[in-house]
Amino acid sequence: MISGSEVKSIMKRFPRFEDAYLGLNYAPKLPKAMVKETKELVAYARKFNDQVVRPNALLLDRMTHENPDYLPHDLMKTISDWGFYTMWVPKIFGGKGKNLPSLSPVIEEVSTACVGIANVMGVNYLGLSSLMTSFNMRITNRVLSDVIEGERTGDPKVIAFAITEPIAGTDAEDMDLVDRGRVITRAEKVDGGYVVNGRKVFISMGHVSEWTVFYAYTDLKTPSQNMIGLVVRRGTRGFSMGRHEDKMGQRVCPASEIIFEDCFIPDDQVLIDQYSIKKFTRKTPAEVMMRHIDFLASSSKAGVCSIATGVARGAFEDALKFAAETEVKGKLLINHQWAQCLLAEMHKNVILGRLLYQETNYANSNRGVYDLLQMKPVFYYLKLMPPSYFKMLEPMVNQAATTWAMSKMYFDLKKQENVDICSGTASMAKFAGTDIGMRNCQLALDIMGEAGLRQDRGMEKRLRDAKLLQIYEGSNQMNRLITFKGLIAPTVPQARVFEQ
Amino acid sequence: MITSIMHDEMKSFEDLAVNFANKELDKRREQSDKYPFVPFENTVLAKAHELGFLGITLPEDLGGIGQGISTLCVVLESICRTDASLGALIFTNALAQEIILKSGGADTLRGIASSTDPESALIAFPAYSDPLEHKDLPRAAKSKKGYTLSGSSSYVVLAPIAGHALIPAKIKDQEGYSFFLVSLSDPKVKKGEPVFSLGVHACPAADLALSGAEAVLVGQEGSGPACFVGAAEKMYAAAAAIALGIMKGSFDYALAYSNEREQGGWPIVNWSEIKMILADMAIQAKIADMAVSQACSAVENKIAGWDVYAKTAALHIQEAACQVTTDGIQILGGYGYMKDYGQEKRFRDAKQVKTLLGMAPLRKIGLLDQLNAK
Repeated sequence: MISGSEVKSIMKRFPRFEDAYLGLNYAPKLPKAMVKETKELVAYARKFNDQVVRPNALLLDRMTHENPDYLPHDLMKTISDWGFYTMWVPKIFGGKGKNLPSLSPVIEEVSTACVGIANVMGVNYLGLSSLMTSFNMRITNRVLSDVIEGERTGDPKVIAFAITEPIAGTDAEDMDLVDRGRVITRAEKVDGGYVVNGRKVFISMGHVSEWTVFYAYTDLKTPSQNMIGLVVRRGTRGFSMGRHEDKMGQRVCPASEIIFEDCFIPDDQVLIDQYSIKKFTRKTPAEVMMRHIDFLASSSKAGVCSIATGVARGAFEDALKFAAETEVKGKLLINHQWAQCLLAEMHKNVILGRLLYQETNYANSNRGVYDLLQMKPVFYYLKLMPPSYFKMLEPMVNQAATTWAMSKMYFDLKKQENVDICSGTASMAKFAGTDIGMRNCQLALDIMGEAGLRQDRGMEKRLRDAKLLQIYEGSNQMNRLITFKGLIAPTVPQARVFEQ
Repeated sequence: MITSIMHDEMKSFEDLAVNFANKELDKRREQSDKYPFVPFENTVLAKAHELGFLGITLPEDLGGIGQGISTLCVVLESICRTDASLGALIFTNALAQEIILKSGGADTLRGIASSTDPESALIAFPAYSDPLEHKDLPRAAKSKKGYTLSGSSSYVVLAPIAGHALIPAKIKDQEGYSFFLVSLSDPKVKKGEPVFSLGVHACPAADLALSGAEAVLVGQEGSGPACFVGAAEKMYAAAAAIALGIMKGSFDYALAYSNEREQGGWPIVNWSEIKMILADMAIQAKIADMAVSQACSAVENKIAGWDVYAKTAALHIQEAACQVTTDGIQILGGYGYMKDYGQEKRFRDAKQVKTLLGMAPLRKIGLLDQLNAK
């Protein structure tokens, strides 16, 4: 029929087989136990929705309108009591070590009931991802140990992530843009650490996080080559909270301005800088930091797509329930043909959203940041060994050699095409999924008419919540360009991205 | 609205509305949007009443200023560029007045519209639905004085502040429904808490529970559907003008912002992707402008098919406003999502007013049925 060499040759053409069928390529490598574990976690999330999220979502939304300064300490305590803040912390750092791709269906599940609460839970994992994709094992271990301790003592200690600046949103997220932008958070090297001055805005969970992973620049004129990652603990001198933003939706999850005024960050809280980069690669700092952002975004954007899928599903379920119960012009809405077609459209959107984040997770598991943890031997090793065993390994985790080896593997040796496919797929999932989420909210409101407009029916809140998904984790416009950059431009040598 | 079709008097009203919006609405928008968690801002309502905005299409002998639908649309568009809440308030009151006029109940309006107290001059109405969409309308029964109403009426717009409400109700064993005027100070009318809505927060609404409330029949028994359709055919143009104003406000703000905000070393308006979004917004706003102007002209001059023009314009522009306002947020990025800027409010308001006069899908089907019958 066709020779092996022909297959190899033909399938090198765009789109390459391994790029176009990410799930199919990963399927044989998928650890079987991951399926059962994911199913149990989704069931646990549904139970959490029944007992916590649905009874509180609208009450909390209303409360935040009555008192815009409301902070979700009680909710965080409940989430912590249910074990969600350490569920996906790898065992090697003391967590429950559930498989990282399973975070997406759980977030989808919680988002069907409340996107805000899903974020109060999920932002911690944005922080976790930013730590883990710095591959600074010692600091990651230190911060995550604190998260574990917070859960044990009933005093949640979660992690925020801060990159956006007042006049640099999109610019701060890409090394090709940041030199033309106007970043203001400056880190000056001093004995024993850095002194930081500047501001970050729209930082989810800023006001209530124990730790914040953030970025600063040692030279504001060429920030791409001088970007460094740091962590700061709440209460550190010179680190304070500014505005608590008054948002349209997702109100239970605070968005904060954070301020650095001569804030000293010691060397042992520097995740990555030019000095550490030199130790494992000849790549430029800009190349390494771009990879760090790509790795981080490849996992976090799957998360945003799963939130959006949850929104789309929640809207579909609201509209379906309404249509099944409501008589319009003499017959149940569910028996109007136009409504049936809209409901089918909405259901299709949910399935598409789920496929998008799953495909992204397959890319990450096979070729991206999850590849080590999702390899069958490593997966089963981590799953089956008891926590006490990992406690014994802690000194090894803290070794500089471990950080060096992990940094070398991901920042230096990993093929750029794998970084591109993960980043591009994640960005596509992000913009497509969030557009789907918004679309379903609009359709549900059309089906529900007057009833959908009332906050006490829940549907209007979904629309308010959903809109932010098209903005954070890079605007959807930015994500279209990253999709072009990661999935399309590599096939067209003359293509240039972000050219003026 | 397109300036060339506006006569001098309409231009005067436009100037009046624009000045009023700039002077009175802009500074209060963020605060008044906090309703129902802050008191209703009745200073704005009082000034709107002084200017005659609560009786634009009402004949002068009934206390109005006797203008046509075009003037109402000009005023609504100008106001809604800044704040659609007052636009929805004016619309609801005008719709209730129009239904009463269609029912031949001009005398009923005489004492209400001429009241110097703005709240007493208002008539509440469930403006976000066609009464036929509801299975359970209140029940009307004849009494010695007239009629009594029992049951519940949901989402009655202006009920928290108005003196009267126009309520659709069913008379036992009769087809269709009839309209009744009730006093909202009647102890047998219980108002629920103000409805916390998606948009136009400063246009309050509440559910009403009626337990034998005294009511005055408006028009004939069973004439409700005909009166509603008659009034709605004209008021679709006004609903379209509200959406047009919101859309223009969103575009104007986004364009101004895109000239100031820099990204990648220059104002974002210079990025071609942003230009495409802004151009799409501008195209929708310009088309909407033409459609409202044409619809008003058709209604005023009663040209053939005038009723279809207004209905079509409303359906198209209300949908377009939802898209334009979501893009209006997108241009501002994170700032567009914050309440300090007007864009997130315009987005919510656009979706809210899309449901004025009933569910959009049912209105679409109704339009096709109407075209098919001709």
